[in-house]
Amino acid sequence: MTLPLVVAVTVVAALLTGLGLASTAAGRRIGLVHLAGAGLLLALLLVQAVLAVVAMAGGDTPADTPTFLGYLAGVVLIPVAGVLWAQAERTRWAGTVLAVAAAAVGVMVWRLLQLWEATGA
Amino acid sequence: MPDRAFGRPAEAGTTGTAGPARVLVLVYGIFALAAGSRATVQLATRFAEAPVAYLLSAFAALVYVVATVGLARGARGRRTALAAIGVELAGVLVVGTLSLADPAAFPDETVWSGYGRGYGYVPLVLPVLGLLLLRRTGRGRS
Repeated sequence: MTLPLVVAVTVVAALLTGLGLASTAAGRRIGLVHLAGAGLLLALLLVQAVLAVVAMAGGDTPADTPTFLGYLAGVVLIPVAGVLWAQAERTRWAGTVLAVAAAAVGVMVWRLLQLWEATGA
Repeated sequence: MPDRAFGRPAEAGTTGTAGPARVLVLVYGIFALAAGSRATVQLATRFAEAPVAYLLSAFAALVYVVATVGLARGARGRRTALAAIGVELAGVLVVGTLSLADPAAFPDETVWSGYGRGYGYVPLVLPVLGLLLLRRTGRGRS
């Protein structure tokens, strides 16, 4: 859990939110650009999860470990669920579905960082 | 090629409420999940610290789950959704007011504390959007 990674996740999530809303505005379903964005977001989240688990194995655990782990796992699932849902959506609202998922990720990583910094050590 | 990159043109029926309804189901689903996990952790690990706040969290989570299911069922779940969203709106207003008037009674945050400020006031906006949508779909059917 490092600030640069959280910022990177936020930037990608914000871009994906914008892309999603743009495709709704343009009356289109989602395309490869959206999938690439979601893939990048997922990759960053997986890196973050691995780093956090490694740090925790090294004894650096946050004060509220159950909540932290819940968020850590949940935040990885959201872009996956968002993409699956958006792909199944045939109307122009597909992009908005993805935008909502990306925005949720953008918010959750900051909550994660907050939980991480409330460490006992 | 632009279709592959930026998505094929959307199918017709884009003026209806089906799309926005599904977006709302997603947002409700996320809240049901978030509030539910939060309440589970709170109740399981430190129930004694703030029983009222944590039971309220659990209740709020339940309301979100019922509202999500109701909205997802469309016309058949309309009354369920209406009831759940009504309770939700009342909950966020009552709890929001109480938590500001008497902070001592709410030592830990709930989803509805301070009108949902811990969640970017989304809990306050969400039921309003939900009721607006249900009104539009109701009008469409009759």
